[in-house]
Amino acid sequence: MNPDEVLSEPRAARSSREGRGWVEGVILSLIRYAARQAPPSLSARLEEEWLADLTARQGTIARLRFAFGCCWATRVIALELATAVGAAAGLSAGKTAALFAGAGPSILSRRTTVFVLIGALHTLVILALASGITREVLQAIPPIQVVSVPKAPERVEPPPPPAPTLEQFRPVVPLTPWTGEAPAGAISVPTVEGPPPTVSATPRQVIRVAGGPGPGFPNTEDYYPEASRRLEEKGLTTVSVCVDGAGRLAADPVVARSSGSVRLDAAAVRLAKAASGHYRPTTEDGRPVSSCYPFGVRFTLK
Amino acid sequence: MSFQTLKALEAFLENPTEELSGADVHKRSGIASGTLYPILLRLESAGWFVSRWETIDPVSAGRPRRRLYRLTRNGLARASDVFASFGRGVSA
Repeated sequence: MNPDEVLSEPRAARSSREGRGWVEGVILSLIRYAARQAPPSLSARLEEEWLADLTARQGTIARLRFAFGCCWATRVIALELATAVGAAAGLSAGKTAALFAGAGPSILSRRTTVFVLIGALHTLVILALASGITREVLQAIPPIQVVSVPKAPERVEPPPPPAPTLEQFRPVVPLTPWTGEAPAGAISVPTVEGPPPTVSATPRQVIRVAGGPGPGFPNTEDYYPEASRRLEEKGLTTVSVCVDGAGRLAADPVVARSSGSVRLDAAAVRLAKAASGHYRPTTEDGRPVSSCYPFGVRFTLK
Repeated sequence: MSFQTLKALEAFLENPTEELSGADVHKRSGIASGTLYPILLRLESAGWFVSRWETIDPVSAGRPRRRLYRLTRNGLARASDVFASFGRGVSA
């Protein structure tokens, strides 16, 4: 069977492969070329056989490898056959191989062919780059954009806070200046001011009358110790008492200032305790309020 | 005998009566075409193989006919001897 007829027979299967492009054409051309380079007695057989076996190869790479393999096989087959025939005829292997190569001795040696092929490949690549591919590649590469990054601003340390001045510590609410004037007739005994007056936004004069001994207050002579009389002890003991609005002791009285005699001081404390309920409470604007104040107990010999 | 030749023979010895094309031998042995076809022709010239064209109708089959190779009786015997010698070498 003619190899050309073989190629035309399975047209349905082959046409699709040949339609893939020029690669299929190269593959077929390589196989046909390899078969023609084989010894004439095997040329037609090998072409048909290889083209038939090519249909079993799937994929362009595998088919290309098969085609190049056929080219190599041709040279091996020619060399082996030439060796066998030449041995019988007494010729050298190279000359007999050339005889079996069909096309006669090649003007190019194998090394020269390789150099020519490499040069051709380089030429193709250079031409491709010089023509359209170069422009496509350059267009595919995005242009270099120069982006100027502004210099980072230097970090400016915040200025240190100004040194505090006395003006900043001025009270927001102005204090009411104390006039030092006390209400007339309010002091009958030594008094101690209560808690410091609160500063109000609207200063107002509060009439405060300190408390002291009230009606029914015990007599000092009744609490004069007998031992102190015999020893002629005398003196003034200042006792601090806390009195509620009803005139009763809110806490135990304490000696604020001693007379110098323990017995007289103890007698003054007993008197202060016994006087609970008979104290005159401190008043503010006439209203009795709880307060603490001292009062003096004087022991004198008659 | 080269290693590739042994692989090709091994592909045929799986079923000595079976006829195989070059594509079949490639599938079984993995030998590249540049090495395979010289081996097939060499063994055929030596009388180990016989070959014939496949008897099919390429139009109805949708593919060209293939060249089928088969071990001859002499080839089977010699191939068996080759592998047997390898077996003896290993066992000894």
